[in-house]
Amino acid sequence: MTVLGRAEAAAFLYREALYLDRMDFDLWLDLYTSDCLFWMPAWRDDGKQTDDPDSELSLIFYRGRRNLEDRVQRIRSGFSVASVVMPRVAHMIGNVLAEPVDDRTTRLDSSFIVNVHDVRTHRGHAYFGRYEHELRLENGEWKISRKVIRLMNDVVPTMLDIYGI
Amino acid sequence: MSKNFALRELIDDRPQDGVFRVNRTLFRDPALFDLEMAHVFEGGWVFIGLATQAENPNDYFTSFIGRVPIMVSRDAKGELRCLINVCPHKGVRLVQKLCGNASRHVCPYHSWTFDSTGANRNIKWEKSGCYAAGFDEENHDLAPVARFGEYRGFLFASLNPDVPSLEDFLGETRKLLDLVVDKSPEGVELVPGRVCFTYAANWKMQLENCSDQYHFTSTHPSYIRILDQRAKEQASDVVEATLGAADFWQEDASGITGGTMSFDHGHVLNWGVMPVTSAQPDFERAEQIAEAHGVAKRNWMFNMRNLTIFPNLQIAENASSQMRVIRPIAHNLTEMQTWCIAPRGESAKARALRIRQYEDFFNPTGMATPDDTVCYEEAQLGMAEQERPWLQGHARGLAATVEGGNEYSDMIDLKPARSVLADAQLCDESLFGSYYRAWAARMKEVVA
Repeated sequence: MTVLGRAEAAAFLYREALYLDRMDFDLWLDLYTSDCLFWMPAWRDDGKQTDDPDSELSLIFYRGRRNLEDRVQRIRSGFSVASVVMPRVAHMIGNVLAEPVDDRTTRLDSSFIVNVHDVRTHRGHAYFGRYEHELRLENGEWKISRKVIRLMNDVVPTMLDIYGI
Repeated sequence: MSKNFALRELIDDRPQDGVFRVNRTLFRDPALFDLEMAHVFEGGWVFIGLATQAENPNDYFTSFIGRVPIMVSRDAKGELRCLINVCPHKGVRLVQKLCGNASRHVCPYHSWTFDSTGANRNIKWEKSGCYAAGFDEENHDLAPVARFGEYRGFLFASLNPDVPSLEDFLGETRKLLDLVVDKSPEGVELVPGRVCFTYAANWKMQLENCSDQYHFTSTHPSYIRILDQRAKEQASDVVEATLGAADFWQEDASGITGGTMSFDHGHVLNWGVMPVTSAQPDFERAEQIAEAHGVAKRNWMFNMRNLTIFPNLQIAENASSQMRVIRPIAHNLTEMQTWCIAPRGESAKARALRIRQYEDFFNPTGMATPDDTVCYEEAQLGMAEQERPWLQGHARGLAATVEGGNEYSDMIDLKPARSVLADAQLCDESLFGSYYRAWAARMKEVVA
């Protein structure tokens, strides 16, 4: 049985954060399984988060890494004015907990703050919330099969892309 | 008034000379913004929400009209009211939640209590309060707004009593709201989950952008490329796009691909032909809708339609179906409240497709809206230019505008005040004139 310890789990999350901070999107995409779920729920008027993505709105909902590849392609395309002057970001991850689901799957809970400096406008913003990762062992490597981003401050100033969460 | 504005210096409207121009001042002046809040948003009809947001007895939801907190409350008998959400005692906002259900609302500050009709039901320790006679003569209920009305579940209110009837205000655009509502015999509803974002620019940037066909291929090429790629690969793990099957934005399309219509009171529609295909969630009902409403009306329901009910409601039916409410915060800051609006009772499969199509295009976390909002902010920077104060962005289509409608509006007996029929490259801007003429009408007391 392969167990992902807390320290290893935290290191995995830090590595994902590092790739995003460096905008090294190829390495970032490599962390995901091809059938991964990538989900940032929206908030309902009753103060709760949406929890059924097929009948309720999400801020981002993708099944399949292919969709994340599309996002990266748009960022790199040179045809998105929101991505021409790239913001600078730094992810801070804490409160990491790891819980094995079975011998190939581990669930991680963590908290995040992403500090964003918008180079275009000189404005700063800090997005924060919680991550729920599910890691799956594929060919001896841990990959992200599910990531839920629970964004707490969901009033988005102008824009928010995958590297800012 | 500390500052006087002359209309002719703000809006250069000379149809006889083929001129329509807007001065950058309209976007950048804080004093003018304060007047807009008082006269445009607090001085006439504005959209406040859908009746389905307070569906059951004692349901309520809160919002703002301009800067003023309001509450839409359905009383125990089922009647809807729009009340000023402010306790008459010390002026505290009474209800803080976005929505809920309550037969009593207790002010958090001194416990004055109101029922769901707005009537005051308790003033704490009133008898021991040694109030003098003058207090008893005052009305202690929540104030109703001056005018409140509903058209097929769309709720509008005005803080100013001196406005036309809601029927007159909406006029012919009621038929365009019918196109939204009649997709289902059960009407429309908001998909749970509200997405809120801000942008650092004037509210009129959003007002115009919704009706601006000209920007689509320039602002969104990164999104269009992804649509093209997805269409080619037909991969099963990406969402099918409604826009893929449409010609109205393709620069090499020929013939009439859409156009614009302008209505009284500042309402406008820009539209494009979209075929009835399975890429649209409403496809499952295409036959039923045609049977109930006729083929012409059904086809119009499948067309791309961006409708603005001036000054703050926009319903965009293009990549998916969105309801937007514009809330100006400052001359250079705007808050957008956005929802996916959907026919009630559609299948789970259609609903899921609608939601997926929505998120990628409309969300501030998606692949299109950020490119719009960044452009608004860049425009706001450019509004500082004073050397050449007149914008050149309201001129396309001026020579193509005709009074009344055309064969497409005739199909559904729609009678716009003015219209333009367009090929894919015309991209009319003359419809913006309706916004600014309605703006001038609402501002007439302070801008002459």
